Amino acid sequence: MAGDKLMVYWDDTEKIDVVMTKLLKGAEAKCALLVDKDGHLIARHGFTQTLDTTALSALMAGSFASTSEIAKLVGEPEFSVLFHQGKKDHIHMCLVGDRSILAIVFDDRTTIGMVRLYAKEAAVELQKIFEIVLRKVNSSEEGLSEAFTNSAEDKLEDIFRD
Amino acid sequence: MVSINYSSREVSCKIVYYGPGLSGKTTNLQYVHAKVPKKTRGDLISLATDADRTLYFDFLPINIGAINGFATKFQLYTVPGQVFYNATRKLVLRGVDGLVFVADSQRSKRDENIESLNNLKENLIEYGYDIYTLPIVLQYNKRDLPDVMPIEEMQQDLNWNNLPYFEASAVKGVGVFDTLKMITKVVLNRATKKTEAPEAEAAPAAMAGVAEPMVQEQVGTAIEHRASTQIAPRNSASTAGTTVAPPPVSMDRPHRVEVREVTDEAGWGTQSAVSQEQTKKLQTDKVLIPKHPTLAEIESKLHQVDNTELDSPKKPAVKPKAEVDEAARSQFADAFEVPHVVGMQKSLKLRKKKKRFFLFRWFGGDND
Repeated sequence: MAGDKLMVYWDDTEKIDVVMTKLLKGAEAKCALLVDKDGHLIARHGFTQTLDTTALSALMAGSFASTSEIAKLVGEPEFSVLFHQGKKDHIHMCLVGDRSILAIVFDDRTTIGMVRLYAKEAAVELQKIFEIVLRKVNSSEEGLSEAFTNSAEDKLEDIFRD
Repeated sequence: MVSINYSSREVSCKIVYYGPGLSGKTTNLQYVHAKVPKKTRGDLISLATDADRTLYFDFLPINIGAINGFATKFQLYTVPGQVFYNATRKLVLRGVDGLVFVADSQRSKRDENIESLNNLKENLIEYGYDIYTLPIVLQYNKRDLPDVMPIEEMQQDLNWNNLPYFEASAVKGVGVFDTLKMITKVVLNRATKKTEAPEAEAAPAAMAGVAEPMVQEQVGTAIEHRASTQIAPRNSASTAGTTVAPPPVSMDRPHRVEVREVTDEAGWGTQSAVSQEQTKKLQTDKVLIPKHPTLAEIESKLHQVDNTELDSPKKPAVKPKAEVDEAARSQFADAFEVPHVVGMQKSLKLRKKKKRFFLFRWFGGDND
């Protein structure tokens, strides 16, 4: 796991977009986030302008990580679905493959049953896409360019100063 | 494992501050949060106990803006330093790209530093990291306190691999940015590979495959985007094509003034240009989903939901509401009786008035 790189390319995103749009429309949810288990946001869809998606991703990943530790303590390999119920908004999270989380935020305009149904479908489709992504990443050996790191260093000097 | 997202053109790195309890990991983040320009950072999130000890992690996202067209983000985490939180500490380490080990320089903390370092090595090895190649920077914190150990001794204790180190006083901000600069540089350097050949002539083909079931007008726009980005990638900054730049655009071309930069300044909750566009489309209902399920399919699914899945909270909530209200009303009928309430208020007012009267006599009368 430690050596794996996560790279998402244009054509992959295109596929992910299709799945996510279908999910949102079908489940009538507010928004959907696709988050790496390490807390990186991979894709977001729907009404996310008012959400701090960066923090959300980190916290969701943390929440999922601690839940799976709890699972291990009670003798389960993993809890694959997490559901948070609020007064107005609810969040449904489920595993996609073994390294990403699909989180769906929805309200009372739809039902948990619908969300679960479409999430399940979407998770299967996304997993297929990720399998292809991983195969591609493992076969290719690319990274950031030298020019990137050089200009990044200048920018870092500029921002990180007292 | 630096995360590179070619579609939204983002690079994201996870940096974790590790160290024994009370060594100043959270203080490091607080200082960075206070000093870094507001538009480059998000909120500092602390999952802490009532006594302000870190329970799970602190989290500070930093977005240094677009570099060569890639929005570069660092996610700074701290771990809970206390010994018995090892389970959560280990979870935070998952997927780490760079580590800052914050050691407490006081002589009395020497054993704790060593114990924490050993714990770090154990956890990293368990995750399958190579502790000799993973970017790690040491920070000898609290140099401003009396009875600190000399640097040579600390080096002997903690620096197992000739790692870069900094003396610091996180409370005063000394050495905090030096440490952060070093670790970010090392992380980015490590992500750099000599070969740089963004892949995929396959990309357009795959895209065409995806676009196939779309409705005509959408296909039209999709092709337009593709055409603008493929044929003239250098000019794409002036068109909408910037938002959908495909991998064949080489990263070191100085061609883009990114749309992303604008959205980044607006804050962390903003969307990437691509998904914003999609949201707009979604709002106006212009996006027609490829391979839309037929009515029969939807009906059969609904049927399944009704039978097998959880019951829907929406439907039963509408009709029986009036009935429920009625039942509650009859049960607590006496509480709805108006005269009773008014009587209470009256008697309260009277009592207040009496009280005021006596007080007036007690104090006011004497003065006269």
